[in-house]
Amino acid sequence: MNLAKIANGVYKKYGVKVQATQDERSIIVTGECDDWGKIVEIGKLFVDKKSGKYVVNDIRFTGGEDRPPLLPAVCDDKLEGTEWDVVIIGGGISGCSVARELCKYNLKVLVCEKHSDVAHGASGANDGMVHAGIDIKHKCKKLHYVTRGNAMYESVCRNLGVEFERAGQYVIFTSRLIKFLARTYLIRAKKHNIPDVEIIGKKEICAIEPTVKDFAVGALKIPSTGAVSPYKLTIAYAENAVQNGATISLDTAVLSLEHTDSQITGITTNRGKFTAKCVINCAGVFADKIAQMAGDRYYSIHPRKGVDLLLDPKSDGLPSNAISLSPTLKTLKEHKNTKGGGIIKTVDGNILLGPNAHETYLREDTSTASCDIDEVFNKQQRCCPSMKRAAIIAYFAGVRAPSYEEDFIIERSAKVRNLIHVAGIQSPGLTAAPAFSLDVAEMAKDMLQSLGVQITENPNFDPHRNAPIRCKSLSDEQRDELIKRNSDFGKMICRCEQISLGEIKQAINNPLKVATVDGVKRRVRAGMGRCQGGFCMPLVVKTIAEELGVDYCDVQKGDDGSYVAIGNIKEI
Amino acid sequence: MKYDVVVIGGGPAGLAAAIRASKNASVLLIEREARLGGILKQCIHDGFGVVRFGEKLSGPEYADRFIKELRDTNVTVSLFSFVTNIVKNDCYKLTYVCADGVKTVECDKIILSTGCRERTRNGIFIQGDRCAGIYTAGAAQNLVNILGIMPGRKVVILGSGDIGLIMARRLTLEGATVEGVYEAKSTPSGLTRNIHQCLHDFNIPLHLSTTVTRVIGKNRLEQVEVSQVDEKMRPISGTERIVDCDTLVLAVGLIPENELAKDLSVKIDPKTKGAIVDQNCQTLTDNVYACGNALHVNDLVDYVSESGETAGEDASKPCGKRKLVPVKVKGKFLYMVPQMLDVNADVSKVITYFRASEELSKQKLTVTVGGKEIFSKRFAKLLPPEMERVVIDYSAADLASEQILIELKEG
Repeated sequence: MNLAKIANGVYKKYGVKVQATQDERSIIVTGECDDWGKIVEIGKLFVDKKSGKYVVNDIRFTGGEDRPPLLPAVCDDKLEGTEWDVVIIGGGISGCSVARELCKYNLKVLVCEKHSDVAHGASGANDGMVHAGIDIKHKCKKLHYVTRGNAMYESVCRNLGVEFERAGQYVIFTSRLIKFLARTYLIRAKKHNIPDVEIIGKKEICAIEPTVKDFAVGALKIPSTGAVSPYKLTIAYAENAVQNGATISLDTAVLSLEHTDSQITGITTNRGKFTAKCVINCAGVFADKIAQMAGDRYYSIHPRKGVDLLLDPKSDGLPSNAISLSPTLKTLKEHKNTKGGGIIKTVDGNILLGPNAHETYLREDTSTASCDIDEVFNKQQRCCPSMKRAAIIAYFAGVRAPSYEEDFIIERSAKVRNLIHVAGIQSPGLTAAPAFSLDVAEMAKDMLQSLGVQITENPNFDPHRNAPIRCKSLSDEQRDELIKRNSDFGKMICRCEQISLGEIKQAINNPLKVATVDGVKRRVRAGMGRCQGGFCMPLVVKTIAEELGVDYCDVQKGDDGSYVAIGNIKEI
Repeated sequence: MKYDVVVIGGGPAGLAAAIRASKNASVLLIEREARLGGILKQCIHDGFGVVRFGEKLSGPEYADRFIKELRDTNVTVSLFSFVTNIVKNDCYKLTYVCADGVKTVECDKIILSTGCRERTRNGIFIQGDRCAGIYTAGAAQNLVNILGIMPGRKVVILGSGDIGLIMARRLTLEGATVEGVYEAKSTPSGLTRNIHQCLHDFNIPLHLSTTVTRVIGKNRLEQVEVSQVDEKMRPISGTERIVDCDTLVLAVGLIPENELAKDLSVKIDPKTKGAIVDQNCQTLTDNVYACGNALHVNDLVDYVSESGETAGEDASKPCGKRKLVPVKVKGKFLYMVPQMLDVNADVSKVITYFRASEELSKQKLTVTVGGKEIFSKRFAKLLPPEMERVVIDYSAADLASEQILIELKEG
């Protein structure tokens, strides 16, 4: 790869002067530019997959000011002086699944999560699709883990008590040419061992999904695609880890890593300084920042934001299957950063549209803008013209954490001997997590053994987590019996989603001890329905306060500082 | 267990319906919450019952009059009870959960008095951060009046709906600063009396044709961006202004709650978002009635009770075969209820509620049947926030023509 030549090409195309150098692991690009989109595009030009080197994009952005990372308000010595076998940085799907797998061994495991709950980043804000892997063209880590992870979902979700549905997915063809070209998918599916993929005709797809009858000429049927609640799975992994002895420390941000040239010797957080024999970097959009703290920054993460829309399942004209339009040459050009999103049916029965994809320099910007809503809705409406905008009940944004190579980085550090990177975990990282967490746990085990740590299996490891009670899904007889045992399960608090007081109390007393309004919402859906908490929020606040024995005013919506009220009336 | 009538929802409409129906029928009243009264429980301001009692009562006082009256009837009340399923065989079979378990009950007729819900931040597409401090007016009212806690110190209110105006005053009285009320429309959405009593009297500015375009805040709301909007309610670029505040209260409209109605395949009017009914509040599904705010959003509780009584009265009596004739409307109506006339039933006192779609002056409402005018009334002024009520006597009309037209025009 001739770096000077590429740099020259960059100048011609973008008018930006960049310098590129390389070392054993990275291609480092420097320069200055005021257009973030250009910086990302330039970074991509230096990708050289053959060499196995990663792009470190150090082009300085002059077009805006980065915000300091969000940090928890709390500052104490809860963890001061503690010693851990493994410290996992980041409580997303990666960190929580790795923690749970490590519980199979007798190890002291700590997960540091800077927010007030796990799955606060991309793991909590994605569409929950369990991908078949049909979009991944070439052999890579992503493909390896996605196909393996997909096949594991039934057993993982059964063990962890999480709903999972393998309802399949249909990619709709709008022209005969596309239908013809789609045969390449069949070849790919065979090559990549994606089961039962087939092309179906107009009649069949229209019978399955009548909303596409006006324009479909056929469809690609991918039966192995599934759906899961991404945050519920992350929470389940975290809870099972805690049940098996791991510690998950919330509101805990890693501020710096003390290190020699080849080893991390100390971890400083807002809750004290401590040591770890092995450190696993699962920090999502901050993975390269953590790598930098360890003196091991050899890749770059370029945050990519996506917005998803949720529709009221009771509105008219909705599809009943996961569908998306097959890309055409035109749309491929327009949306080269995403698989194009689609219409997904969530395990909770909602229809979800999304996501779009926009590069951003703000790693934690989960704000939404009306142009996002328009973009996502208008695009997906092409696939289901009968959907109405008025059906949108909620929308949210998440920030993906891709590397420039757009592949997962799951490996032991070549430089720091007690560090493992689990980075670049973007979509379909959720699908892949059950598979790569096993490998990462093995990597950590090998690493600890090579460092002289004796590892034994944890004889008490229990892979099962009981699913929380969900009254609505019980039969009338079961529900009646449950209420007779505990009348709280007969008292309805959330009318839209039919959540009882008993379910809310159960959610408040979760193993992670997350007692916030959002924590309850994510665990049992109170406030996720049509009224979006208008009716039940005050009751949830009251229940949290009563269960915790605190004042109403001490209840928070989510992270520390997101208080619901400022004080009692007559006292202000 | 079997009842003649089951009333679902124990707010003002359901209370009135149950009381009235109990005069001729056995009645079960199912209420989701721990206490009767519906939203009135948290409406501690006055102004309720002016039409009905000639008094200015608070919400709880108004509800209390009905609750006391209910005690003297044979109505069975089931509290903390939530209907999960309704199936129709020879009669209706309802399943509901309560603190005692899962119950089933049969009935001949159902009255839906399930009230309404508020439109949310998402329903009006407010963009920006996802911080704490954004409440619908009803939720804010619950925090202050039921839980006794203050949502914030510096408040912006979006929407000039009545609850928003009431909350502007309430929060001011509790020591908060209400920076202003912002309304995307060019005219207020709330009652004129509330604009005066809640805003003008407290020097709270009302900004018309202005809306909140973005919310800003890390964990708790810190600022909102407001923008002026054009006549199609699109924000005008360049008019953005940042307002410091810790609380945003949304009073952006109410939507009739009709989940059970949908399960019963009750036809919904896209204008009212409530059921299509005849003059007795019976929906197009036989033996299913809708009343109160579940039928259409009222601005006075007195009329909520009135429609409850209409439904309760009819549901308590044996009914013959209905012959429904559509009541057509022409002119600037936002909506009109009832949308149908059962010409086989009593047509001599048809209570008709309507709202104009825009501010109008010097209007004449005429009712013609088969081309012949049978009723007319003049209105000096019509405002969309102010619901109008007229009682029409169709008994002399030629209803066999099946041509009923209600028209609104200048004159």
